Amino acid sequence: MQILRKTELKAYKKAKKIGQKGVIEILSKKGLVGRGGAAFPTARKWQFAIDTKSDTKYVICNADEGEPGTFKDHLVLEKVPENVIEGIIIAAETIAAKQAYIYLRGEYEYLKPKIQKAISSVLKRSGSKVKIDIVVGAGAYVCGDETAIIKSIEGYRGQAYLKPPFPPVEGLWGKPTVINNVGTLANVPQAILFDDWDPHLRLFSLSGDVTKPGIYEFPMGVSLKKLIELGKPKNPVKAVYFGCFGGCMPYKEILLTPENVCGQNCVIGAGTIIVVDNTHSIVDMAETIAKFYAFESCGKCTPCREGSKRCLDLIAKIQSGKATKQDCDTLLDLALHIHETSLCGLGQTATNHLITALKYFREEFEQKCKLH
Amino acid sequence: MVQDLLLPILKHEQKKSGYISEAAIKRISIQTGIPVSRIFGVATFYSMFHTKPQGKNMIEVCHGPSCHLNGSFNVLKSLYKSLKIKPGETTKDKKFSLHTCSCIGCCDKGPAMLLNGKQYTLLDETKLKAIIKKCRS
Ligand code: SF4
Ligand code: FES
Repeated sequence: MQILRKTELKAYKKAKKIGQKGVIEILSKKGLVGRGGAAFPTARKWQFAIDTKSDTKYVICNADEGEPGTFKDHLVLEKVPENVIEGIIIAAETIAAKQAYIYLRGEYEYLKPKIQKAISSVLKRSGSKVKIDIVVGAGAYVCGDETAIIKSIEGYRGQAYLKPPFPPVEGLWGKPTVINNVGTLANVPQAILFDDWDPHLRLFSLSGDVTKPGIYEFPMGVSLKKLIELGKPKNPVKAVYFGCFGGCMPYKEILLTPENVCGQNCVIGAGTIIVVDNTHSIVDMAETIAKFYAFESCGKCTPCREGSKRCLDLIAKIQSGKATKQDCDTLLDLALHIHETSLCGLGQTATNHLITALKYFREEFEQKCKLH
Repeated sequence: MVQDLLLPILKHEQKKSGYISEAAIKRISIQTGIPVSRIFGVATFYSMFHTKPQGKNMIEVCHGPSCHLNGSFNVLKSLYKSLKIKPGETTKDKKFSLHTCSCIGCCDKGPAMLLNGKQYTLLDETKLKAIIKKCRS
């Protein structure tokens, strides 16, 4: 796997030699984009922070991988934490930040000793003066949002706020802040160092009803069928979920590009593929995911706070056999409203799974309903 | 800047006492100058903080979609069999608390759970029995 190739501080040394301009140039030429899902060009993000005048700037490594079914950052942090730290000090020195934070999910706290060790070793060997602290979260999915991470590090409830201002202009404690995902930062030294570094390779987290789940590295545009066959499903595959927020589609061959997945009314996001076979019910999946959102909604805005609970109530009603087909319409209506009127990304995507499930698998819901 | 110490302080309190009591919140407020209401707000926002006493062993079963497909329900069922508690409850002898949690990044080895922050994967009834037995002794 490309992502696991070690850079051993050679990229850091090269970055020092070519300087700020050189680093930005190389990253933009090589086409490194964010691995968190939004695919924003990394060089541009850094440039915003460089262009904002301030004595104090920060770098935050987003290690808050909370999207259910996603475990690629977990792999990177476990196998090549030094590459991530090298990426952090390159980022910090490029934008002239003296302090960096790693925002680690509370659920990943068991990785902390390993990361701490990597920090000490990289700082010692590189001689870099950047201070790197690990902030361990305390369990909140919404903290995956950039602005919520900032609030959480500042010691508040990790609630998202409206952008702009964007973090590279006004972020942590009001100072310019670059927030990059673990996967992005792990790719930084590789992109700088290796001539044959391939910008198209992505990590796919494959799990669910497969006998060989795991992280698979493929270029964007890989065939869904190929990927799933590598996972060796036990039974005929019925549906594919792109994580909780990405929605679901009936299993068929497509090439996994953001556009193609979008064409199925789904979002590819961070490459999360959850396989559902014909022994499992889509209504059960809907209930599981709706529970997740009802629990994780931060409560700041009404559509998501109240709507996610009402969705769950309606699904429970359908499960109990007391619902009518009209309740399915109400559920879809509600899902669309939450999607359109929520404040942050969590609420806006919280019902993708319902909208798509009711589009592609409506008969499974209706089968549970009364006739009239 | 004291506010940014709040999360670590609350974590410490949670670890030390097993929960964040009202008395602890008042004490932290006096020590830091952060209003009680804000501390309470933070303590109740994050799912890993508890404001009620918890058992000595904290079990958090993942109920993410991948674990659901791999049988997280059966994990809860066998835990109910041996501990007689449902998610959100604590055993009478205060030895165990059971909760469900969101994905813990072990989706390729589901069903999974955290026991006192440590990951346990590919759970089945035999494995769970052994784990519980070890905690009890
Ligand atoms: S959409 Fe949901 S998570 Fe986002 S701010 Fe509103 S209530 Fe909070
Ligand atoms: S869904 Fe259970 S560990 Fe990810």
